[in-house]
Amino acid sequence: MPMDILPILASLRRHKVTAILLILEIALTCAIVCNAVFLIGLRLDRIHTPSGVADNELIMVRMSNIGGRSDVRARTLEDLAALRGIPGVRSAAILAQTPFGYSGTTSSIKLSSDQKLPTISYVSTYFGEGVVNAFGLELVQGRDFSADEYHWLQDLNLGLPGSSPRSVIVTEAVAKRLFPDGNALGKDVYIYDEPSRVIGIVRHLVTSQEWVPGQEDYSMILPMRVSPDAGMGGTYVMRTSPDQRDRVLDAAVAKLKGLDPRRVLTQKSTLEKQRATFFSADRATAGWLIATCAALLVVTALGIVGLGSFWVAQRRRQIGVRRALGARRVDILRYFQTENFLLATFGIVLGMGMAYGISLFLVLQYELPRLPAHYLPMGAVLLWLLGQGAVLSPALRAASVPPVVATRG
Amino acid sequence: MLTMNHLAKVYRTEVVETYALRDFNIDVKEGEFVAVTGPSGSGKTTFLTIAGLLETFTGGEYHLDGMEVSKLDDNARSRIRNEKIGFIFQAFNLIPDLNVFDNVEVPLRYRGMKAAERKQRIMDALERVGLASRAKHYPAELSGGQQQRVAIARALAGSPRLLLADEPTGNLDTQMARGVMELLEEIHREGATIVMVTHDPELAARAQRNVHVIDGQVVDLTEEPRFHSQTSHA
Repeated sequence: MPMDILPILASLRRHKVTAILLILEIALTCAIVCNAVFLIGLRLDRIHTPSGVADNELIMVRMSNIGGRSDVRARTLEDLAALRGIPGVRSAAILAQTPFGYSGTTSSIKLSSDQKLPTISYVSTYFGEGVVNAFGLELVQGRDFSADEYHWLQDLNLGLPGSSPRSVIVTEAVAKRLFPDGNALGKDVYIYDEPSRVIGIVRHLVTSQEWVPGQEDYSMILPMRVSPDAGMGGTYVMRTSPDQRDRVLDAAVAKLKGLDPRRVLTQKSTLEKQRATFFSADRATAGWLIATCAALLVVTALGIVGLGSFWVAQRRRQIGVRRALGARRVDILRYFQTENFLLATFGIVLGMGMAYGISLFLVLQYELPRLPAHYLPMGAVLLWLLGQGAVLSPALRAASVPPVVATRG
Repeated sequence: MLTMNHLAKVYRTEVVETYALRDFNIDVKEGEFVAVTGPSGSGKTTFLTIAGLLETFTGGEYHLDGMEVSKLDDNARSRIRNEKIGFIFQAFNLIPDLNVFDNVEVPLRYRGMKAAERKQRIMDALERVGLASRAKHYPAELSGGQQQRVAIARALAGSPRLLLADEPTGNLDTQMARGVMELLEEIHREGATIVMVTHDPELAARAQRNVHVIDGQVVDLTEEPRFHSQTSHA
C-alpha cells in the first residue's frame, strides 16, 4: 500500500494555520525538552558524583569551646579515645574538612620550586590524623601516613620551624594531572612552596567544597593533626554501620558533653544528610526541569489529541467516503498516524534548530556545556513516540467511522 | 450480477424494531441499467447501502458477482467495494482538500496500484467525463455538474463491475442533471451494470428497468396499488 504522504501534504496545505500552530508547539517542546533533559542529566551526574568515602557509614559531630583552652591537644586525644570506646564505632578521627561541606581549604601544587604558574591551581586539601581510615578511602598505590609524619596544623599556622608537611597523599585524578605520562608515586611536588613527596594515591576523594566541573576529585591529604581550636576547627568523624548511625551519634554527643559540659554542639549529622543538603539545589533544579518537561509534553500531547479529535470530527463524512471507496480501518488509522508523523517531523526539524540556538545561548550566557548532538535524535524519537501515542485515540475513533456515513452523514 | 433473496434489514433500539427492508428480492443482471424508485423512507437508500456493502443486513441472502457476502469480514468487504463497486453519491462526496486528480486517485491508492497505472487510469477517466483540463482544480472551483462528473470519473477509474448511484442528479439543476444522465447512459451503453436510486420518475424512465420499493419491499406495479403506494411514472 503506497503511503499517502503527497495527498496528506496537499490536505495539510489547506489547513495551514492549525498545522503550523501544532508544528510550532512540537518544535518548542522539542527544543526545550532536549536542553532540559541535558541539564537534568548534568544535575543527576553531579548528584551521583562518587565521593570515594564510605557515605553511608560516616557520622560527624562538631563542638565549639567557649573561651580558649590551654590543654586542647590533650583533651582532643581524650575525646577521640572516648569516642572510639562507644560500641559500634569502627574508627574516630578529628578532621578539619569533610566532603560536601560549604567551606574548605585549597592549595596549589607545583612540580618545581621555580615554577611560576602552578600545575594545579586549586586542590582541595584535607587535614587530620587518619583521614584514609576515617573516610574508608581506597588506597590504590603507596601507603598511609605513619605516625611520625604528622605535625600539628596549629604549629604550621604559627610558622613554627619543622611544622611543614613532607609527604602527601593525592587522588588518582590529581596524580594523573600532575604526571600525565608517568607514575606520581614517590615524586616530589611543591605545596606552599615546600617540597612534599607523594607517598600514596587514593582512587577517589571528592573535594570538600564546590568544584569546577571535571575537577570534583582534585583533592589531597596532608599529614596534619587538628584540634577543635586549631583555627579552622575540627569535626569528629566516626565510622559505624549504617543502621547504628543515629544511636552512635547520640552516644557521641553525650560522651563529649560528659567530658566537657561547657562545649556547644554546632553540628550533629550523618555524611549522607550532609551530601543530601549539598545537592539539594541540584535536586530541586532537576525536579523543576523534570516537571517542566512533563508539563510541556502533556500540553503538547493534549494539543495533538485536541487537534486530532477536531480533524476527525470535521472529516467524519470524508472518512466515511474513503471507507466507501475501499479504505480498510487500518488505512484510516494509518492516514492519521502518517499525518501526525509528518507534522511531528516538521516540528522536530524546526525544534532541532531551536534546541541548538537555546544551547548556544546557554553556553554564551551561563557558560554551560554545549548540548551534545546525540540529544537531538533522542528528542526526535521522544516527540515522534509522543505524537503517535497522542494521535492513537482520535485515529482509532476515525477508523471506527462506518462506510455508511458516506450516504447518511 | 446482484441478487438479493428474502433480504431483511432491521434497525433495533431498546424499545422498537424498525424494518427498513423486509423480504426484499431483486435480481440485477450483468449489463443492466436498473432504476430503483419509491417514496421517501421506502428503503431505497438502505437497499443501496447494503448492495454497496456499506452496511450489513439482518437476514436473507445477498450474492454479488456470484459471491455470498454475508460472511465476509470488514477487510474483505472493503476490498470488494474497492475493486468491484463504483459509487456515485447525491452530494458528490468529493474530498474538498484534494484536487480533482487526487480525488479520482483515492480508490486507486487503496488498491495498491502503481503510480504510473494510477495516473493513466485517472487521466482516462477524466477524459471520459470531459474534465481532463480541470485535473488540478479543487472541488470548490467546479460547478455542481462538474463535481458530479468528477465523482463519476472516480467511480469509473477503478473499472468496477457495478456502478451504484444514489440520486446522482438530486443536487443538480435540470441542465446539469441532463448532462450527468447522458453520461450514465453512455457508460451503460459501453457495457456497465448500473443500479440507480432515484425518486425522479423522468430519470427512472430512462433506465432499462424500474424496480419500485414500498415499505422495504419490491412491489410489482402491475398489481393493484397497495395502501402505501404512490403513483409511479415508470
